[in-house]
Amino acid sequence: MTVWAFRIAQRVSLLVALSLLGALLGATLVRFAPGYGMDESELDPRLSQASREAIRREHRVNSSLLSYYGAYLASAARGDFGSSAWLHQPISGLLRERFPVTLRSVVLGVISAWAAASLLALAALFYRGWLLDLAGTLASGFLIALPVAVVAIFAVYLRVPVFVAIGAVIFPKVYSYLRNLLLQANDQPHVLAARARGVSRTRLLLWHVIPLAAGPVAALFGVSISMAFGAAIPIEALCDAPGLGQLAWLAALNRDLPLIMTLTLAVTLVTVAANSAAELLHERA
Amino acid sequence: MSAKKLLRAFSAALLCAVFASGVCAGILTHYSYSRQFREAPSAAPSAQHPLGTDHLGRDLLARLLYGTRVSLLLAPAAALLATLIAGLFGGIAGLWGGWMEKAILAAADLSLGLPLLFVLIALRALLPLDISPVISVVATFLTLGILGWPASLRVVWAAARRYRNSDFLLLARAGGCSPSRILLRHVMPNLLPVLLAQFWISIPLFILTEATLSMLGLGVMEPLPSWGTLLKGLEDLTAVRANPWMLSPLLVLIAVVISLQLILPAREEAL
Repeated sequence: MTVWAFRIAQRVSLLVALSLLGALLGATLVRFAPGYGMDESELDPRLSQASREAIRREHRVNSSLLSYYGAYLASAARGDFGSSAWLHQPISGLLRERFPVTLRSVVLGVISAWAAASLLALAALFYRGWLLDLAGTLASGFLIALPVAVVAIFAVYLRVPVFVAIGAVIFPKVYSYLRNLLLQANDQPHVLAARARGVSRTRLLLWHVIPLAAGPVAALFGVSISMAFGAAIPIEALCDAPGLGQLAWLAALNRDLPLIMTLTLAVTLVTVAANSAAELLHERA
Repeated sequence: MSAKKLLRAFSAALLCAVFASGVCAGILTHYSYSRQFREAPSAAPSAQHPLGTDHLGRDLLARLLYGTRVSLLLAPAAALLATLIAGLFGGIAGLWGGWMEKAILAAADLSLGLPLLFVLIALRALLPLDISPVISVVATFLTLGILGWPASLRVVWAAARRYRNSDFLLLARAGGCSPSRILLRHVMPNLLPVLLAQFWISIPLFILTEATLSMLGLGVMEPLPSWGTLLKGLEDLTAVRANPWMLSPLLVLIAVVISLQLILPAREEAL
């Protein structure tokens, strides 16, 4: 129990360290980006010299990296991530609005990819024929060689939901790994011995093969969530889905650095949390 | 010759042919990649333009050949940079251990936690969008190289750790070899097979990432072609239906990525 508490504490401290480091990196990039501190409202001819000086003074308050970082952390602790420089809206509101869209696509995409990969891998395990093996290898080999943005364009052509495109990106990686894991587990001497004793296929799978592969499979599940969030950017951007991926792409095109940094930080925290949970399950298995 | 070896030989020959066509682009086509034939936008294949033209009237074959040059020369360069970073820091972590190993591995773990595409577009957003095409190419592949090291580092570290207490290193230390000489002259030659494998694995990854970034308008800038900028043409389904040859960059990219994956096991076995 103490060992588990220690491991969980380790993971949580990693998350905290990552948040602090990510925020520092974000603050550094925003602070030293070309054009920082420039405000186009200064170009307004209706403003007096005093008003312009007031705007400049406001920018000078956060001119040091440490004070900028401190102010960012203090407001982030209150749930205030600042405002988008491009949309002029609070970033926390944008996150609340868009995160559920991406989360739904990612969850459904991961589930569909795992369902398809598991079915094919199990079929390859039960019916070891060259035809099934070739079909699976060709499908995953073709999909793995496609850039994510091309998968997104095909999704637009075929008018399929965003989660199907995300699933198509994850499927080949999951399938090839899962298939190899199950085949390796199935070839273990104890599985061979059980088969020789006449244990049924289903029992062999559920009692001997799957428990052996469960650890690495859990780790792979965590990685697939990270892959799905990465794939969400081009897919949501090209499929016009109003999620975090599309927001990140538009923020990059509009050089909205505070927004893109907060988005990167939020997605990183989610993926690291998923990876950590998967690794804990892996260790337990 | 077995079917597997035949397939690998075919893949290697295909890669050589595509690479050579990119390098010899200036000989294979006499058009520039940016020259516009304004009287023939979105033209079908003809004797003058074997793959037709794009919506701006630029010869697609010329753009494909020059795009191949950009993608196939710079993706390996980025892979080399990532592998060198991984080799250096993975070697140091594996050999010296202690706090340095912990710090390097923690940095690698933290970097692995970051979704690559999010970080890439965040870094790309720092640069103005109207940078020159040449700078956009350098920035894209440099960023890929600089950010692509963490996965390779873990593999190199695991390999280097095996040599930490080996007899030949003990002898080298006893002989007064400096740490840098131990790393570069004694350990690196032993890590070469691992580094080569990581280099080969990184190339298709960087080709695909560049393609996605360029299709999103955050990679290589027009009018310079790369496989990514050429694939942007696929967004227009009507144009693709009118001229299916617009799919040729995609077919070349798929063929190259699959070939790279097919010859990788051959290299590992040979090593």
